[in-house]
Amino acid sequence: MRVRASKLLIFAPAAFLLAFFYLPLGSILKIGLWEEGPTLKPIIEVLSNEYHRRVILFTIGQALASTGLTLLLGLPGAYIFARYEFPGKRLLKAILTVPFVMPSIMVALGFILLFGKSGIITSLIGRDLGILYSWKAIILAHAFYNFPIVIRMVSALWQRVNPHYEEAAMALGARGWRLFWRVTLPLISPAIFASAMLTFVFCFLSFSIPLILGGYRYATIEVDIFTSIMTLLDFRTGSALAVIQIILSMAFMYIYLRALDSYAKREEQRVLQREKRLTRKELLSLKGALIGLYSLTVFIFILAPLIAVIYDSLQFNGSWSLEWYRRIFSAEYNPMFGATTFTAIKNSLLFGFGTVIFSITVGLPIAYALYRWDFRGKRLFDVLAMLPLASSSITLGLGYIALFSKTPLYYSPILIIAAHTIIAYPFVLRAVSTSLKKIRPTLWEAALSLGAREWQAFLKVELPLAAGGLIVGSIFAFAMSIAELGATYMLAKPEYTTITVAIYKFLGARQFGSASALSVLLMAVSTAGFLIIERVGEEAW
Amino acid sequence: MVTIELSGIKKAWEDFKLEINDLRVKDGEFLTLLGPSGCGKTTTLRIIAGFEKPDSGEILFDGKSVNELPPYERGIGIVFQDYALFPHMSVFKNVAFGLEMRRLPKAEIERRVKWALELVGLKGFENRYPEQLSGGQQQRVALARALVVEPQVLLLDEPLSNLDAKIRERLRGEIRRIQRELGITTIYVTHDQEEAMAISDRIAVMNVGKLEQVGSPLELYYRPKTEFVARFLGLSNILELEARNGVACAGKLCFPVEREGRVRIFFRPESVVIESGDDAEILDYELLPGRIRLRLELDGNTIIAERFLEELPFRPERPPRRVGLKVTRFSLL
Repeated sequence: MRVRASKLLIFAPAAFLLAFFYLPLGSILKIGLWEEGPTLKPIIEVLSNEYHRRVILFTIGQALASTGLTLLLGLPGAYIFARYEFPGKRLLKAILTVPFVMPSIMVALGFILLFGKSGIITSLIGRDLGILYSWKAIILAHAFYNFPIVIRMVSALWQRVNPHYEEAAMALGARGWRLFWRVTLPLISPAIFASAMLTFVFCFLSFSIPLILGGYRYATIEVDIFTSIMTLLDFRTGSALAVIQIILSMAFMYIYLRALDSYAKREEQRVLQREKRLTRKELLSLKGALIGLYSLTVFIFILAPLIAVIYDSLQFNGSWSLEWYRRIFSAEYNPMFGATTFTAIKNSLLFGFGTVIFSITVGLPIAYALYRWDFRGKRLFDVLAMLPLASSSITLGLGYIALFSKTPLYYSPILIIAAHTIIAYPFVLRAVSTSLKKIRPTLWEAALSLGAREWQAFLKVELPLAAGGLIVGSIFAFAMSIAELGATYMLAKPEYTTITVAIYKFLGARQFGSASALSVLLMAVSTAGFLIIERVGEEAW
Repeated sequence: MVTIELSGIKKAWEDFKLEINDLRVKDGEFLTLLGPSGCGKTTTLRIIAGFEKPDSGEILFDGKSVNELPPYERGIGIVFQDYALFPHMSVFKNVAFGLEMRRLPKAEIERRVKWALELVGLKGFENRYPEQLSGGQQQRVALARALVVEPQVLLLDEPLSNLDAKIRERLRGEIRRIQRELGITTIYVTHDQEEAMAISDRIAVMNVGKLEQVGSPLELYYRPKTEFVARFLGLSNILELEARNGVACAGKLCFPVEREGRVRIFFRPESVVIESGDDAEILDYELLPGRIRLRLELDGNTIIAERFLEELPFRPERPPRRVGLKVTRFSLL
């Protein structure tokens, strides 16, 4: 069934990608690799500079260390979640979604409030642990973000390991570590590898956390590009760094996508293992104590930054007060970021929902085309559609400035939404693809045999069944948009200031109270956004 | 209703070739495509449904080519092996789907869904969801959904293979009853020869992408044209013998044939009558419910015989060493 008219649908997303990803990327490549002809000079200059070289090595090093710590924190959790049922498990599960709704700038703020010179933990212990403004804070914050992903991905696969494999191995005499090492680990390793690669890529491209927690000494490539352009106005160095970053991140992304493929294959085995309910006796044994200790660590680790921010927002001159909230709302116009708080909230919501709509418009047709049709160049198209995943927000901002700064588009909020969409839509694409692939192909055929046209079969059967993926993708897109700092900061005119940009400016001015109050507001806004998307999504289908 | 004709159908993949030169299904006929997995029977069905396009050849419904028609314009009803019930729709909605696509008025839809659910014995299940039904019930819903649009052709792709043996037998009887009641031209795909024999007017046996033989169940069972058909439909005896002067003999057992030279004699185990005598040696035997299966040696050939216990000339507890035998029905391969 090949219908030409419907194929045209993928031209709009393709045009969008071209205009807002490939052309800006081209401008960066041009600045970085072209001087009256192809040249490697800017790149060689960057690579021969001691500081930039250290930045590149540090970026990879901190990503590795962050991934290590993330696995260390996540794997025990994956095991516990896959295998045991215990009191408090649901609560723990709910707590694990907190990092997801907490914008990274808020985590950074939380860390400052905990570990800073007058931070809560610093004053509790009585001395500065030297965590802040060092690599330690960076990897700790990265682990905070990513270990729930490891738990989710690994435990999902762990639960699906057919119990017969382990039972067969036990019957053959394997037990304990040998059973785990020889049978269980090889079965779950695709999930471990895929989640580790995902963490690594996130940490490699992460911006807000190294920017705020690392400072100049512990800059990553992303921060280095940002300062090159925004502070030093050196587009040549910035572009050369961006080219290096893109090449590296594309390589890492390739490995991640390969890992994801083998993970997805394993995930298809749909044998669910029952979790074991712990008896009262077991709860009181060493096993129970270890599970309890782990849960407690997770609780404290996740909730501490959140509570620190909320607490700080309610403290004024050493006593409880709503003063910070009054201040951020009372100012008619805040010279710090050139707009009122209401405008910032409005902008964040506008960009957030705009990003959701754009991401669906771009991601859904591509996902569907890749799922339903066979066409020449399909594999290449797939790769080109996923490539934005390897780009970073600063690179995008740089590309947009390079390409659009002399056009009227530069002064329109569309550019910010476009940047957010490029960052977010691959997640919509992936989520929708995954749920489309789970639909049995006979359903579509059954619909056609009953007289439905292709578009009716899509609307009545496939779309409702893929709605779950669409909702998850939309929430992801919304979360990414609302938490985005780098590209927004580079592109936003004062009247398009978002909450994250405002928080960053407050942080820069060391006005932590206002930053905290705004952060709490941001979290409230993003949580409300999720609930709205979930509700609308469920009602629409 | 409608006749179906496939002529010169060819479809090739890298590792498989399907070729159906000529297959006709009569109006109101129940034809089964039978063969081992991977023989191309499901692909043939999907070509008739319009989900696959043949590389060449024609599919005719009532003499008119439907090659260019998409599935939704072919007037087919199809039941899949996995039932393919829409998981997000109730039983009523599933059955009503095809009628809604045809934009029938609401009252008409309700009337016909009711009729279809009564036909398959699922009255009162309208508001259930597929996941709340047993496999057999899901199969009935799938059947009702396919039939409610009054298709010209009913296509069934291994509809019973995911069910328990007991339910399978009951449902195949019901499918047959409904098909006769509606007089609908039906093509049924299965790999189960017993099911095919029980349910079909005619069977088309397929092997590695080709039709081996088409005929009534009895014809295929007793007069297979190839060794593949003979063996696929049940236990077989095939003797390679030398024919001279109008007979081919294995020991004292002789078959009248019109050919001379090497012949292949085929007969079923039930066609072997056991008598007292010393024609063949009993190698071993197996008791089945009410029956006995004997393996006999006759002049270097092994012959399988199957009889009801009460037909034996000896007590099953004490079989003799040698018996006499006669073959009542045979054919040449």
